[in-house]
Amino acid sequence: MTTIRRFCCNDLLRFASVNLDHLTETFNMSFYMTYLARWPDYFHVAEAPGNRIMGYIMGKVEGQGESWHGHVTAVTVSPEYRRQQLAKKLMNLLEDISDKIDKAYFVDLFVRASNTPAIKMYEKLGYVIYRRVLRYYSGEEDGLDMRKALSRDVEKKSIIPLKRPVTPDELEYD
Amino acid sequence: MGKAEEALSVCLNAKDQLYTNDSVLIDDLTLSTLQIVFQRLDHLDMATSCYEYACGKFPNSLELMMGLFNCYVREYSFVKQQQIAIKMYKVVGEERFLLWAVCSIQLQVFCGNGGEKLLLLAEGLLKKHIASHSLHEPEALSVYISLLERQSKFGDALEILAGKLGSLIMIEVDRLRLQGRLLARAGDYSAAADILQKVLELCPDDWEYFLHYLGCLLDDGSSFFLGNGGNSIYPPKHVGCKNLDLPDEVFDTRISRASVFVEKLMAECDNASIRSPHLANLEIQKRKLIYGKGDPGKLVEELMQYFSRFGHLACFTSDVEAFLLFLDDPNKSEVLEKLKGCELTSSSQTKALGQAITIFKVENLIGNMFSLPVCELEGLAVRMADMYCKNLPVSKDLDLQENMHGEELLSMACNVLVQLFWRTRNVGYLLESIMILEFGLTIRRYTWQYKILLLHLYSYWNCLPVAYDWYKSLDVKNILLETVSHHILPQMLASPLWSDLNDLLRDYLKFMDDHFRESADLTFLAYRHRNYSKVIEFVQFKERLQRSSQYLVAKIEAPILQLKQNANSIQEEECILESLKNGNHFVELSNEIGNKLLTFNEDLQLRPWWTPTFDKNYLLGPFEGVSYYPRENLIKQTEENVLKNIEKRSLLPRMIYLSIHCASSSLKEHTEANGSAFDPKLSLELKVLLERYARILGFPFQDAIELVLGVSSGQKPSEALSSDLIGWINFVVFLNAWNLNSREIGFSNNDKPRPSTWHLVNSLLKKYIIEKMRSTGPLLSSPGGDLPMLVQLVTEPLSWHSLIIQSSVRSSLPSGKKKKKGGVTEQANSHHSHEIQDSIQSLCDAIKEVTEWLSAQINKLDDVKFETIFSLLQVNGEGQGPGRILHMFENLISSVDNTALGDRISQALQSWDAVEVARKVGAGQSSVLSQFLRICESKIKSLQALRTHL
Repeated sequence: MTTIRRFCCNDLLRFASVNLDHLTETFNMSFYMTYLARWPDYFHVAEAPGNRIMGYIMGKVEGQGESWHGHVTAVTVSPEYRRQQLAKKLMNLLEDISDKIDKAYFVDLFVRASNTPAIKMYEKLGYVIYRRVLRYYSGEEDGLDMRKALSRDVEKKSIIPLKRPVTPDELEYD
Repeated sequence: MGKAEEALSVCLNAKDQLYTNDSVLIDDLTLSTLQIVFQRLDHLDMATSCYEYACGKFPNSLELMMGLFNCYVREYSFVKQQQIAIKMYKVVGEERFLLWAVCSIQLQVFCGNGGEKLLLLAEGLLKKHIASHSLHEPEALSVYISLLERQSKFGDALEILAGKLGSLIMIEVDRLRLQGRLLARAGDYSAAADILQKVLELCPDDWEYFLHYLGCLLDDGSSFFLGNGGNSIYPPKHVGCKNLDLPDEVFDTRISRASVFVEKLMAECDNASIRSPHLANLEIQKRKLIYGKGDPGKLVEELMQYFSRFGHLACFTSDVEAFLLFLDDPNKSEVLEKLKGCELTSSSQTKALGQAITIFKVENLIGNMFSLPVCELEGLAVRMADMYCKNLPVSKDLDLQENMHGEELLSMACNVLVQLFWRTRNVGYLLESIMILEFGLTIRRYTWQYKILLLHLYSYWNCLPVAYDWYKSLDVKNILLETVSHHILPQMLASPLWSDLNDLLRDYLKFMDDHFRESADLTFLAYRHRNYSKVIEFVQFKERLQRSSQYLVAKIEAPILQLKQNANSIQEEECILESLKNGNHFVELSNEIGNKLLTFNEDLQLRPWWTPTFDKNYLLGPFEGVSYYPRENLIKQTEENVLKNIEKRSLLPRMIYLSIHCASSSLKEHTEANGSAFDPKLSLELKVLLERYARILGFPFQDAIELVLGVSSGQKPSEALSSDLIGWINFVVFLNAWNLNSREIGFSNNDKPRPSTWHLVNSLLKKYIIEKMRSTGPLLSSPGGDLPMLVQLVTEPLSWHSLIIQSSVRSSLPSGKKKKKGGVTEQANSHHSHEIQDSIQSLCDAIKEVTEWLSAQINKLDDVKFETIFSLLQVNGEGQGPGRILHMFENLISSVDNTALGDRISQALQSWDAVEVARKVGAGQSSVLSQFLRICESKIKSLQALRTHL
């Protein structure tokens, strides 16, 4: 019962039940709108009967050469609709667009090193920990950069884990 | 010179140089820098004129033209945007500039005052371009199709989609969705159904498109015409049954086709998380019933099937809500009985728990709980809490970040206890409902659903500081300020917590104003990245927020708060009024309100059942025994009330300003405090506003006067003003101020002497203040109550009246320039002086009573032993009454099994402290009272100081 469609501004007015979750950040308006203005294909919402918002994914595509990749900025599901593989559906959609439309090499995402449930979920979806980013979150907590190779990266070079952690200023993209 | 002025001066200098000195280099970098600074200084027009000048000088510079286009985007000058975009298109012939022009035309039609005919022009431009250059961007195609769709040229749109351009839409299912919609809108339902069937084959879980498909099968495409919900954030509810006169055999054939197709989808979907085809069976049964060919038993059967498959999911009840509510009462009861009769034999404990929760939810949804006897209802709450406790071990291995299994049980138990309180007025149930939520938050502190319930319960129990703390813990920021603030803002507006209210209003207004400032830049970003559909969306969204009713409320309440905070000093009040342009701007706002289509962006779905909208709280009234409350009707009423309130409150600053002036001229024949002549227009204007204010209160001016006089003299009951007490007393206060100057309301009426309007204000203020103080009662044992009303009486009408007194006193003070007058004038002045003294005395007496009452209440709360609070939780001899759940929690804690519950939950349980919660209730109430007491004391002080001047 998941109608997945492009996210639009009016959805910002209806996503409170998703965003009140303490792990879901409510960004400022220019952040959401920049994503909508630049990468509308990477911003999708899932709706249930009665037009209730179940969850959404926002991301982008960026990089050069073999670093051309899709990036998951946020993926979140309302408590009422958890444990139904919705995050997986949304992730698959973004991966599909990165792979088929934009011909990216991989998809990546950052996750708090302490967020074990999320890390486990991403691993189940085929993501591997590519590298650790020291004090990525507000200069305090480490982040993990997780990646999944797409069909264009035939040799799966993009996901060979780095041996040492990096600092946020070493990141090519944030 | 301030930095801003310095920056402006530098920019103006640069602008002059640009215009006068031909040798000055004009490049986009310089201009865009100027543009940024001018924008920050709120001088967009100057940036625009710089670019206009530069473009005139270098007419073919694309860079400059883009800069100018950007300026017009910032100014929302759609026509000029169109003109410069066309010019760019002519210079370089690029598709994107043509699309910029087309978007600008669409904006004129959708957001400006351009007629629909303009769309023909846009269409023509695109057609011509396509003929010679084709189209290359998917977004360009979607703009073209939306143009045609808007003009109902569905056939043309379909033709384009079927042609070469259609391949621009790379995702097949997106193309099919569009095609299906166009066919349906063109009325070709049969072809639409075929296409939509393909959509469902690709996306079998797409519920929205299943409804479209079923609609089209039954020759009804109305689901495609629903729009986006108008002024509310909720889309309109779709009834979806327009063609009820389909011949029987046609209906049968079509509905069987749907059934067969759904069967096929179910057979092909091996994914257990796909629910849509299963729910589709319920929809099919529902349609059959609507068309008079169904059997409610079948719908019940389908519901049970759906339960056996998805009953454990948290969303089961919201999935089937529309179907459950569609059934009649006996069928609803049948569902409930059948559900209760189900053996919950799920293989996993979590699934069985999920199913059990669902049954409770269904019972609640169909309104069954409202008809249960009190003892059964209490038993239900106990069972819910018991289930929560017993299932704690299931969540043993979950991370703190994850939702625990069965969390909803405590919310549900709380809802039942609140109902018990509403029915029995036993405060113990209210305390227990708070306790169980606090208990839940002790175990896992992130459950926002508990926090929302709690903040409403604490607000209702006059523990606003605690409510506000829970609200803050929700971390409401950015766009959530628009949709979630309604949980706390209305209570805060009527509270003495001025500093917190100030923070709330400031943060919210800043967020909105920042967005209005930056929105155009983001629109330009969408232009640049060729996402044209977002251009229109962004502009419409900004307009939607600008028309937000809550934004208007905050815009007017922020200055009213300032006026309240400074009402003890007329000088400070005058400075504030001056900064508000003496209230003129707000009068304009009030004038316009009738023509504005306001939006209501509050997400009301997260509110508890007992307060479904922010101006409705069932707990304030007696238990009505109703079982189902349709939200829609309430929302409509709330929206009307909000409009009326904005219209009325917007008049306040101006009325205060005019009242001060009228009062100041009352003693000295048309001379104001500063010696200048009083402008009689001010008095006339106040009369006009009073007439308007009375109309908003629902009465013609004269009738309103009669009413307040009637209540004051006791001829009319005091409830006559209760529909909007603060509004009425404000009216009386301003009426007196106007009458001080106009003296139109005589002191005698034939042979019956009439009291003066001074007396009218004194008597009504005193009457209602004392009345509300008495009806408030001790806070601990009288939740709800009239404390917010009492606070408003003192901080609004009484404060405005004190300003009128201050103005009168100030004008009575001898000033060197003025000559002493004698005779009749002096007598009149002396009479007024007495009136003022009496009024001061009357206000002081009233507030003194309040302060004494407040002090006594605070002392009582300080003396309250926790046992007193706990004594509210008394289980009677038959083992019934509030406190059973709390007792259950205590037993759980005393026998904690670390192995079964895990360290985290065990430790959390050990930290539970019911005494601390009880202390919090008392401290919260005491804090509200203390803050109110401080306000009252400062008012007495200021009034007493005035007396010494007389």
